[in-house]
Amino acid sequence: MTDLLHSPVHDRHVALGAKMADFGGWEMPIEYPGGGVVAEHTSVRERVGLFDVSHLGKARVSGRAGDVSAVDFVNACLTNDLRRIGPGQAQYTMCCQDDGGVVDDLIAYVRSDEDVFLIPNAANTTAVVELLRAAAPEGIEVENLHDAYAVFAVQGPRSDEVLTSLGLPVDHDYMSFAETEWEGQPVIVCRTGYTGERGYELVPTWGAAAGLWDALASAVADQGGMPAGLGARDTLRTEMGYPLHGNDLSTEITPVMAGAAWAVGWDKDTFWGKEALAEQRAAKTSRLNRGLVVTGRGIPRAHCSVLKDGEVVGEVTSGTFSPTRKEGIALAQLERSVAVGDEVVIDVRGREVPATVTKPPFVEVGVRES
Amino acid sequence: MSDLEYPSDLRYTAEHEWVRSAEGDTVRIGITSFAQDALGDVVYVSLPAVGDTVAVGDACGEVESTKSVSDLYAPLAGEVTAVNASLDATPELVNTDPYGEGWMYEMRPSDSSAVDGLLDVEAYQQQLS
Repeated sequence: MTDLLHSPVHDRHVALGAKMADFGGWEMPIEYPGGGVVAEHTSVRERVGLFDVSHLGKARVSGRAGDVSAVDFVNACLTNDLRRIGPGQAQYTMCCQDDGGVVDDLIAYVRSDEDVFLIPNAANTTAVVELLRAAAPEGIEVENLHDAYAVFAVQGPRSDEVLTSLGLPVDHDYMSFAETEWEGQPVIVCRTGYTGERGYELVPTWGAAAGLWDALASAVADQGGMPAGLGARDTLRTEMGYPLHGNDLSTEITPVMAGAAWAVGWDKDTFWGKEALAEQRAAKTSRLNRGLVVTGRGIPRAHCSVLKDGEVVGEVTSGTFSPTRKEGIALAQLERSVAVGDEVVIDVRGREVPATVTKPPFVEVGVRES
Repeated sequence: MSDLEYPSDLRYTAEHEWVRSAEGDTVRIGITSFAQDALGDVVYVSLPAVGDTVAVGDACGEVESTKSVSDLYAPLAGEVTAVNASLDATPELVNTDPYGEGWMYEMRPSDSSAVDGLLDVEAYQQQLS
């Protein structure tokens, strides 16, 4: 491994003896001793878990160019319609190529008409920032703030108790955020996440991150929770059917194919990839994202072929063992001839594993409950 | 990691399997404490069938965790005489008791002295460090 980047609480993970791995150029924890993927996953579903996701990108688009505000500019580039939300609200959106392929999926936080904060994926941050910067008119600034902020996620039904014990706000709606202070340092508290559970993502400044982590870790332990690694984050998001860029969304798998058309502002005048995506949406011939639940024994993995009546009808894009259901689950790109409820076979390294086609999510959760 | 154990009465392979001389002319096979720790939570184990004949180094099964999958390699040539059926329902035994309840399969080696050619505990631990 060459020069992996480190989160501001890297030393905490090392001290805990976490297993570390490369995520988009960042050395991040996969799982912790005393936990493990299944225990950490269950802790989030039943109590609470604390994730360090500081590898996620942070970028800011600010300013104004004549009549064009930062919000207007971002809205003319990314897929979702930022006019559906106002200051203090966040939105899932995508950055597409002209051909509709997805450069990245990200969350946009509107602070004001002249100030939009973005959280892209670690490995795609530079690409997103460069595309926006190249398109930005004079007066609109695009900053890459990757190492200016950390990101911690507190996820699970007891998240409110954790934040409350630190004096942090919890009374905001799903997909909204509050800008506050903790021990005199600014922190953004977003009611967002990637697990399907009620929870928050906290964005402190890099320099103030370690103190906040320690306080959160202590409060999470008080609630019967534990630190959770990116292994559990992946099983949690797969159970929800949330796409992972590079697997379920990519330059080959468009929002139309990924079942993410809901995050496209089709009525907008313009956004990157609009023409190609509208054409693909109208043609109704592309493969589509479906869920697969294994009915036999085995665990599907990305790139396994999916067969129906002996014919290849698609490919697994993400597959794992579901700790909640205790069986194999997968997200797959399938031909439109395959319907929900159909029985298919997944080729798992030469072994035929039967599965049923479903519509994700694979579990029932309370992410939106007020 | 210091809390991982390697019993001195077992033989080992570079692929992190252990071999124990069992009753009569058979041996019992599993994966080491190091292997289960590296894999993480084991959620699925695929084993050879009783009666299968395997050659040294054959991929004869799979151990799958939440994160990844690893092949099981036959440490010796011989015939499979028993498999641990309880791993179907409780694969986590591989994590909790890798040298006991988490054993994988038994075989009758075609060369009964071949087991002596495997690594002893010192040699195995040396190649871990």
